[in-house]
Amino acid sequence: MSETTEAATAAERNTSADEAGKAVFSVRNLWKVFGPKAERIPHDESVTGLSQAELREKTGCTAAVRDVSFDVRKGEVFVVMGLSGSGKSTLVRCLTRLIEPTAGTLEFNGDDVIGMDKDRLRELRRHRASMVFQNFGLLPHRTVVDNVAYGLEIQGVGRAERRARAAEMVTKVGLDGLGERRPGQLSGGQQQRVGLARALAVDPEVLLFDEPFSALDPLIRRDMQEEVIRLHSEEGRTMVFITHDLNEALRLGDRIALMRDGQVVQLGTPEEIVANPADEYVRDFVRDVPREQVISVRRAMRPCKKGEADTGAALEPDTLVVDAVEAVARSGEHCRVVENGRTLGVVDNARLLNVVAGLTGEEDGGEQKAVAAV
Amino acid sequence: MSTTTLTQGKDGAPAAGAGEQLRRGLAGRPALMALIVVLVALVAGAVAFDGTWPKALTFDVKGPLDDASNWLTDNRATSPLFLYFLLHISNWSEGGVDYVFTFLSNLGWLGVTVLATAASWWVAGAGLKARALRIALLTACIFAVFGVLGLWEYAMSTLALMIVAVAASAVIGVLLGLIAGLSDRGDRILRPVFDTMQVMPAFAYLLPLVLLFGIGSPAALVSTVIYAAPPMARLTSLGLRGADPAALEASRSLGAGSWQRLWTARLPLARKEMLLGLNQTIMMALSMVVMASVIGAGGLGDKVYQALAKDNVGMSLIAGVCIVLIAIWLDRVTAAAGDRLESSPGSAPAGDTGALTLERLGARLIAAALVVFAVVASLLGPVGERSWPTDWTASVSAPITNAINSFTKAISDGVPVLGGTDVWAAHFTSWVLNPMRDAMQAAPWWGVLLLVAVLAWLAGSWRAGMTGVLSLAVIGVLGLWDKSMDTLSQVIVSMVCTLVAGLVIGILAARSRWVMRLIRPVLDVMQTMPQFVYLVPVVALVGVGRPAAILAAVIYALPAVIRITAQGLRTVDPAALEASRSLGGTGWQQLRQVQLPLARPSLMLACNQGVVLVLAIVVIGGLVGGGALGYDVVYGLQKSDLGVGLSAGVAIVCLGLLLDRLTQSAGAGKRGGTK
Repeated sequence: MSETTEAATAAERNTSADEAGKAVFSVRNLWKVFGPKAERIPHDESVTGLSQAELREKTGCTAAVRDVSFDVRKGEVFVVMGLSGSGKSTLVRCLTRLIEPTAGTLEFNGDDVIGMDKDRLRELRRHRASMVFQNFGLLPHRTVVDNVAYGLEIQGVGRAERRARAAEMVTKVGLDGLGERRPGQLSGGQQQRVGLARALAVDPEVLLFDEPFSALDPLIRRDMQEEVIRLHSEEGRTMVFITHDLNEALRLGDRIALMRDGQVVQLGTPEEIVANPADEYVRDFVRDVPREQVISVRRAMRPCKKGEADTGAALEPDTLVVDAVEAVARSGEHCRVVENGRTLGVVDNARLLNVVAGLTGEEDGGEQKAVAAV
Repeated sequence: MSTTTLTQGKDGAPAAGAGEQLRRGLAGRPALMALIVVLVALVAGAVAFDGTWPKALTFDVKGPLDDASNWLTDNRATSPLFLYFLLHISNWSEGGVDYVFTFLSNLGWLGVTVLATAASWWVAGAGLKARALRIALLTACIFAVFGVLGLWEYAMSTLALMIVAVAASAVIGVLLGLIAGLSDRGDRILRPVFDTMQVMPAFAYLLPLVLLFGIGSPAALVSTVIYAAPPMARLTSLGLRGADPAALEASRSLGAGSWQRLWTARLPLARKEMLLGLNQTIMMALSMVVMASVIGAGGLGDKVYQALAKDNVGMSLIAGVCIVLIAIWLDRVTAAAGDRLESSPGSAPAGDTGALTLERLGARLIAAALVVFAVVASLLGPVGERSWPTDWTASVSAPITNAINSFTKAISDGVPVLGGTDVWAAHFTSWVLNPMRDAMQAAPWWGVLLLVAVLAWLAGSWRAGMTGVLSLAVIGVLGLWDKSMDTLSQVIVSMVCTLVAGLVIGILAARSRWVMRLIRPVLDVMQTMPQFVYLVPVVALVGVGRPAAILAAVIYALPAVIRITAQGLRTVDPAALEASRSLGGTGWQQLRQVQLPLARPSLMLACNQGVVLVLAIVVIGGLVGGGALGYDVVYGLQKSDLGVGLSAGVAIVCLGLLLDRLTQSAGAGKRGGTK
């Protein structure tokens, strides 16, 4: 777990260097409004500020996605999180226009998706972005291999070739020997593995996950999350992941967009969101998160006092608090946070306990300045 | 009218004075009070007036209808409608049926039996599995029975008509189903059509078709297609609409075009429903093909019909048995195909694994041999003997007929003390049917209209009342009031018998597992049998007459009523039932307080279904002495008399509308009332 998070944050830092060039999806001011004369809502200044209830009362429309902007960077796992009805599933369907956006711009590797005609859109769906669904969406009359090969069949790939590639994918997701079964004979977790293999089989640039593991029970869900983490570390494929489960979001996401009532209320790394909630809603949301497993010592440290800079074990700034606790407890003294040979600060019992107790209120997210509430 | 109110007042007064309490109880229920007033008025009116619809209010439809019929007969050879449209249909269907019949007889009896057996075996899953072999054996036996009973030719001509009719119905049904399933507007247009077809007794549209196509196989074929295509269409549409939306979305997300989606996802996802639709279509087609013997379809149905007319019970029973055998055969085969579809791990079109097992190789060889055999037969003419060898049959069928004849005679009036079935039927007629009919015919027409209106109002919908009153008025205007009241009395008696028996058996079946196990196979067989066949044992038992028609109707409608009742009672929310049990409710209390109230929608549906089914048989009852409207329809069909037949048909449809709307609104009204 800690390893992947480290790798993820590292990857994030690498991509952030030249993010403009490497955005896979670039979404700007995207709207999706359901209801009569929906297309007028995004441009009508008098209603865009209204709450959902007021909007419905006044216009009869529901804005599932309102004025959403974000970039999905190449190679990252971008998680969209929100409770049911927050518009996250609508948002992900807008990305390949399974649901037609009402307004806004949407680019895929620099290509304007909104302006695509039928053929180019089909091309996008066939080769470049494929999706994994909450309810699997498997075809019950086909065998596992034929289900996995379905995307290739639609592309017009010949029978032998697509079955060979499908068999490869079946192995990849750990379903060896089940290729000739039907979906009805598989467990929920296995079925979703088939869904995953089907999406992978077309070798897309982006994988879109729409609450893929919500229908699975907790143990299987954990397995599947490991599977996604494994796939991501092996292939480095860009993923957009929709979930309503905060722990899942924190586990998988390089960056998380938290949605509420169709709007993105906060966008940031898991650590930023947990340590620095944007508003009361987010604070409420992350209240029960085990903070020591998300927050790094960079955030937990305080400036060195005299003499401290030379003693104590050295920790990387990205070390999680939970790991630092062990080091501090073992040595019985403070630890130093060292980056490139330079000591940034120190963490001790009190600092780490504050994190666990949720007492480090960091208003500005500043690394060096420690605002002790005690 | 003023005298009427007077009578009403006179009779009403003692009723009101009878109990102050009663009146207070009714004060809150104006509708109930109105009902009582109407009933009192009805009795009074029946005593004081002639109940028949007044002559002045009738409209003579016979003249114009006869003109139309004459025009049709005169112009059949010249009118463009016939030349460019109907004639083609007629020729195609005639040619198709002839072709298939010739093909079957060219195959010879051995060829047909082998081909049918092999086909059934293949549909049931091929291979050496027990089920496939059992069905193959069943098929071979059934075809042998046709031969042994001496009805080979008849069975073949029924089969030929069936093959063409089912093929046409399935194609048309799937096309209509695609329209209704893929387009909302198509659904809006087609749904009421399907609904009407489901309620309409098949006999109602035989007559116009006879006029258009003349007596013979084209009319029979077209009417069969009209009758049998709707379930296919309905279920196709249902399957298309009910498909897992996630699978369709997945298909779309992978970039499938609309045709690709239809072929790879929509249709395969709907195939369970489509197969069920095909099963229903086949069963309904058989039912109609048999019934269409009245308009010259020939085959087994004709044999039954002729034998009934000659009062040859034995022969009609034998032909009836053959029809039942065909029904069982077709039902088993399609059911086996359906089961195979549900539980097939890689057996269906999974020849893709490439591994050609011995079993599969054998199946292919046999199939290839059969195809060659069939092609040779159709090209070169008869292979072997065309018809079942006569010396294998003559000795069997005559004794069976005689045995049956003497047995039924013994049962009908030879039972000592008890009297026998004929005697009971006579009692039933004089004690129940006649008084009922006389009362309904004597009741004043305006009173009946009023009664219907109030009943519908009570049931919860004034619109249903309007429909009912209008339907009755149409009947009156057609000048069929008395006959319709006769038919209505039969329908009501049948309905009451059906509902009482059906509800009792249904409750028993729902509450006791072994009753259910006992009657389920019986219900299965009964529901697959063609309507026409029900007449045969009934006539054998009680002879020709109204009791026979009523008994046939009850037997025909009973399975559906039992099934729906039992189903409704058993699917009652188990939590509610458990709660009742945890409070210490007895079995009876559970039934009365929880199961029956919660199953009310199902019970009303059972009632409604019962009405529709009973009405479908009443017409056929005309063939066995049911008289009244049914007889008129049959007479009209046989004599091609549009005036008599069509107006009676319309009257039956009106009765159907009336009863259907009344029972339906009763169900809907009560459900709405629980808000």
